[in-house]
Amino acid sequence: MTVTFNLFDSIYPLLSWLLFSLGLWKLLIKMKWKRPWMACIPGLRTFALASAMDMDREGVICGVLELILFVDSFLQPAVADSRIVAAYSILLLVLAAIMIIYEIRIFIRLTTVMGVRKVWILLWIPFSWFPMMIFGFSPKFQPKSINFTEDWQAGTSPAEISAASGVAATTSGLTVNLQERTARDFLKKRYLLKDISLSIPNGSLVLLLGGSGSGKTTFVNAIIGYEKAKATVILNGHDVYREYDRMKYRIGFVPQQNLIRMSDTVERTVGDSAKLRLPKNVSNKDRRTRVEEVMDLLGLTAGKEGLVAKKSGGQLRRISIAQELVSDPELFILDEPDSGLDGVIAREIFTKLRGIADEGKIVIVITHTPDRVIDLFDKVIVLGRDSGRVGRLAFYGTPDEAREFFGKDSMEGIVMCVNRQEEGGEGMADYYIAKYAELTALKNAPPTQTPEPETPSAAESAEAPKEGDPA
Amino acid sequence: MKKEKHQGRISQFGIYLGKYLRMFVYQNDWKVIPMSAIIAGVVTVVVGSNMFVTQEGTLTGTFALACVCLWNGVFNSIQVVCRERAILKREHRAGLHVSSYLGAHMIYQFLLCLAQTGVTLFVCTMASVAFPRTGIITPWGIVDVGITIFLITYAADLMALMVSCIVRDTTTAMTVMPFVLMFQLIFSGGFFGLSGTAEKICNLTVSKWGLDSLCAIGRYNELPMVTLWNTIFKFKDIEIQGQKPLLDLIRYAQDNGYRDQFLLWSGQYNTKPNYAASVENVLHNWGMIALLGVVFVIISWIALHSVDRDKR
Repeated sequence: MTVTFNLFDSIYPLLSWLLFSLGLWKLLIKMKWKRPWMACIPGLRTFALASAMDMDREGVICGVLELILFVDSFLQPAVADSRIVAAYSILLLVLAAIMIIYEIRIFIRLTTVMGVRKVWILLWIPFSWFPMMIFGFSPKFQPKSINFTEDWQAGTSPAEISAASGVAATTSGLTVNLQERTARDFLKKRYLLKDISLSIPNGSLVLLLGGSGSGKTTFVNAIIGYEKAKATVILNGHDVYREYDRMKYRIGFVPQQNLIRMSDTVERTVGDSAKLRLPKNVSNKDRRTRVEEVMDLLGLTAGKEGLVAKKSGGQLRRISIAQELVSDPELFILDEPDSGLDGVIAREIFTKLRGIADEGKIVIVITHTPDRVIDLFDKVIVLGRDSGRVGRLAFYGTPDEAREFFGKDSMEGIVMCVNRQEEGGEGMADYYIAKYAELTALKNAPPTQTPEPETPSAAESAEAPKEGDPA
Repeated sequence: MKKEKHQGRISQFGIYLGKYLRMFVYQNDWKVIPMSAIIAGVVTVVVGSNMFVTQEGTLTGTFALACVCLWNGVFNSIQVVCRERAILKREHRAGLHVSSYLGAHMIYQFLLCLAQTGVTLFVCTMASVAFPRTGIITPWGIVDVGITIFLITYAADLMALMVSCIVRDTTTAMTVMPFVLMFQLIFSGGFFGLSGTAEKICNLTVSKWGLDSLCAIGRYNELPMVTLWNTIFKFKDIEIQGQKPLLDLIRYAQDNGYRDQFLLWSGQYNTKPNYAASVENVLHNWGMIALLGVVFVIISWIALHSVDRDKR
């Protein structure tokens, strides 16, 4: 009896490992995984399974843990101290618990891919080889083509659309030539933005439009040099990236949230921002004057002794704007300065911004309710997500030109035009990105050069507008 | 481009120190002062009567006092950085020096800990804790105890500041905090007999050096030990061949005034080198607490530089 038990005890792990590997090998073949032999290697096999289902992060963590525990199973404790052995055992236990959690996550995804009920997980925990054999060898179970990977694959392969040509840098105003802005997300390189070139003259109030996730905030972060892109950004003749330590004081960025300490007075909050941002050679008197000017301009003088925490939403937005405006920036960017504000207060804020632009500054504003204030803007930048879910320039011009280009009466209509269909939009981003690229190419082309009539244009090669869409 | 100079580290330090001092008033940070009085009051009422009187009372009392200091220090700063991390990121983009920000926090917390030390000492005095009359470093025992209390509180404060700089939100900070406190208490080396690697780990805790320092200042090794006497007393009625030898021994000692001598004698057999009432030992303990504080600050400084990598 004892012999049988011991035999089982030593053979079962090997057998279950073998069965699991065989089942996984077949399953990886079904999933069209290029290296199904990875099913036999501890650590790699979990990674392969997870990665085949677009769970790279879970796969790596779980694989590493599996490898550690696998190696440990061959090690003998080399220390005699029972407490160290106990501590080591606890550590292994914790690692095993973490691995099980990740395995469960992977298996939950597997049930979705295989189209089976999640109750299969009850089988997985004690006998993981069993469902693996069934999924691998049974022809009844085939991996389903589920679009669960959409978010995960976003930005990994930009759409093949010809880029708008770059613009020449000028000594005044802002020139942006952004080739790409990428981010490394675990094992994958993602494109967040691609091919955005534009030139904004001083004294412009510019609206930055685009649907959720089109890369508006990423774009402004790239412009201000905070999250650098593969780009050149020239502000009044100075390279923002190369001279970042100096240029950052000439750029004001008001973030979407009110990032202000609530337990300080309004005057001190703006005053401290002035101390931090203004050059050292500005006298105390001049600094105080500047603080008062900005607070006057933004209507914060009344109640300046009061605590920030006691102020209304509109006042908080204005304090946040004042913190940046106090340094008199040449480029002033605001991320949704009107969020949560009613129309009257929002209009008031935008009117102030118009005034700032009229002083010769460049003011770029992101807003989701542009139509109530569009008359104040000089230019519109429209960002759209292409079919590869990469933010690109779909248009840059005056509001009237934008209406004409998109064939829409309102800015919100334009946003809907470039938004994806899943988001309730028209899904025309690729078309307009290509159309705009072609338009700029024509504008920049020498007068003698004429387009070849036989060659389909970039816009034509992209998805054409459907019935009811603008011609 | 002509180079424009902006506010340096010292000026920025002033800006932030002013900000935190104002917030002490407006953000109800002042509440930590009465809170420390309440905690110290509760602890000293329970364990304060025998502190610095007997070895057992001293060990229990100083351990409890060290716990009060750790609690105060950790609660002072566990959330201070992580709760305004997004603001910090914005200000870092606008030219904030991390060293100025951290320095302002350190000085502000220094003042807070100093106030808490004063309050704790005051409460202990009110609760009739018998502080040693003479100190080891200074002529006054209460001053030596006060310096140790301050060092423990401030080092715990800096440790919590470090945690607050590493984690990204207050929820994580409050989740980590109990583990930090438990680690400090278990590895204080006072109550739990530790040896080998565990004993070495003790050297990484503020509580260990703080407890050693308090016991040394309280002249633990020179105090009477009552455990042996009390144990004998418990067995006084045991009869051996119709007689009660332990009762006779107790009576003899009490009648001839040997009881106190017995207690001192038993204490001499329970001395610990860590608690030696010497200048070198106390300075070494204080130095170790200060060193840990410096390490916490360096880690905080390094951790805060990653603020720009925070995701939106």
